[in-house]
Amino acid sequence: MIWIDGVLVSHGEGGVYGERMLAGARVWDPYRSKFAALCYKGTAPELTPEMRVLYLGAAHGTTASHVADYTETVYAVEVAPRPMQDLLEVARRRGNIVPIMADAARPEMYAPLIELVDLVYQDVAQPDQVAIALRNCIFLKTGGTLILMLKTRSVDVRRDPADVLSEAAAGLTGSGMDIVAQMWLEPYHRDHAAIVCTRGKPDRDDR
Amino acid sequence: MMQSYWFGDVSDGVCSPFTGDAAAVADRVRAIRTNPDDFVPPDWRSAVECGVCRDRGEYIRKLRDACMLLAERGIEEEYRQKDVALLQMVRTLDEMDTVINLLSGRAIDWYQVTRPGYSRKYLRTPSKALIRTIGRKSRGSLSRISADVERLSETRTALAREVSDTANGIMPNCSTLLGGLVAARLMYHAGGLSSLARLPGSAIQVLGARTALFSHLRGKTPPPKHGIIFQHRRVHNAPAEVRGRVARVLAAKLAIAARLDWYRGEPDPEFLDSAQARIDAAGNMP
Repeated sequence: MIWIDGVLVSHGEGGVYGERMLAGARVWDPYRSKFAALCYKGTAPELTPEMRVLYLGAAHGTTASHVADYTETVYAVEVAPRPMQDLLEVARRRGNIVPIMADAARPEMYAPLIELVDLVYQDVAQPDQVAIALRNCIFLKTGGTLILMLKTRSVDVRRDPADVLSEAAAGLTGSGMDIVAQMWLEPYHRDHAAIVCTRGKPDRDDR
Repeated sequence: MMQSYWFGDVSDGVCSPFTGDAAAVADRVRAIRTNPDDFVPPDWRSAVECGVCRDRGEYIRKLRDACMLLAERGIEEEYRQKDVALLQMVRTLDEMDTVINLLSGRAIDWYQVTRPGYSRKYLRTPSKALIRTIGRKSRGSLSRISADVERLSETRTALAREVSDTANGIMPNCSTLLGGLVAARLMYHAGGLSSLARLPGSAIQVLGARTALFSHLRGKTPPPKHGIIFQHRRVHNAPAEVRGRVARVLAAKLAIAARLDWYRGEPDPEFLDSAQARIDAAGNMP
C-alpha cells in the first residue's frame, strides 16, 4: 500500500467522489471506506498490481475505485439501481472495473462472467452475510483471501455485536476457511468488524 | 462436463465460441443457467484459444462492454416499474407539506412581531388565508416569503392531484377502496406495489403506525387499530367502538386489492362491489 506521511493514498484519476488529493495521489479516507480503515488497522492484505478482485456490494464505487487503482481487475457487484448509476460512471472512466448488476446472494446469476480471483471483498450489510460470502467462494483461488466486512447491526440489532462476530467467524472456520485476523473497525466505523481469512491453503506460513 | 461462459461453451477443453456484439453477449448471459455445484470459473486463456479475443486486454474490454450494457438495461427495467415514479411523488408531497407548514408558521410568528396589537385569538382565519393577508400587508422579505408559500401550496395541490391520478392508473383496485392519495401513501409505506402485494392484511392495517406498534410489542400499550388507513373517511368517520373492525375489514380487502393491482393491473368490478359492501357492513353492525 502507498502511504504519504502516514496518509493512505492510491494513484489514479481523482474527482470520483470529491476526495482530497495529496501530491497528485487520491487520499483514501478510513472514515469513509472500511477497506481503508482495515489498512490503517494494519491487517489488510497487500493489494498488488496483478491482483484480480471480486467486490461484492460495490455501491457507488468509491472504495471500488481505490481498489481498482491498486489492482489489475475489479469485478464490482451491486444490485440496487441508484448506486449502480454512479458505479457505471466510475467504470466508464476506469478500464479495469467490470460492473455487474446482480444480487451477491445469487452468484449463479453472474457466474459465467467471473474468473478465478485472488481476493473476494464483501461489504453487503445483510443478515446472512457469511452464507453469501461462502457462496461466492466458488470464484476464489485456493490460497486466496476473503475479507468480510461484518455490519453486526444488520445481522441482528438485538444481539451483542461481539457474539455476532464470533458466530460469523465460527461459520467461516466451519466451512474450511482459515481466519487470519478479525477485528473491530473502531474508531473509524462503529459496530463494524472485519474478518480476513484465506481459503484452505496447505502451507499458511508463506503468506 | 460442459461449462457455459459469456464467450462460449467449453467442454473437455474444447471451446465452441459465441460470436456476437455486446448486446448479443448480454442476452446470452441472461439465458445461461449455471449450476454452482459443478461450476468451473472461466479462464481468459480459453477465450483466446476460442478465438474470441487476442489477449487479456481485449478479453476484459469485451466483457466490460457486455456487463455495462447489462447494467444499463437492468437500471432501465427497474425504473420502468410504474410505481418507482409514484414513490418519488408521494415522498415529495409529504416533504412539501412539512416545508409549507414550517414556513407558514414562521411567517405568522414574524408577522405578529411586526404588529404588537395583533392576536389570532377568536379569529377563525385559516393559516392559508392568513398567509395571503401577510403577503399583502407586509413588506420586503416577509411579503416575498408569504408569496412563495402560497405558490408552494398551489404546486402541492397540483401534485396531490397528480399522485391521485397516477395511483388510480397503476393501483385501480386499492384506489377505488381507499382513494388515490391514501392508496399511494399506503404503497409508499410498504416500499412499493410489489411489497404491498406481499403483505398480509394485518400488516396493512397498521402500516404507518410504527411507533404505536413497537410500543405495543414492548408490552406497554394496547395494539394500534390503524395506521395510514385511518386517513380514509370510512375509518376516521366510524364511531370509536366499530373503528377497529372497519379498519380490519378494510385492510383485509386491501390485501386482496393490492394483489389484484400488482399481478393483474386491472380493476375487478365484481370484487370491488362485494368488498365495498362488506366494508360498509362492518361499519353498520351494532
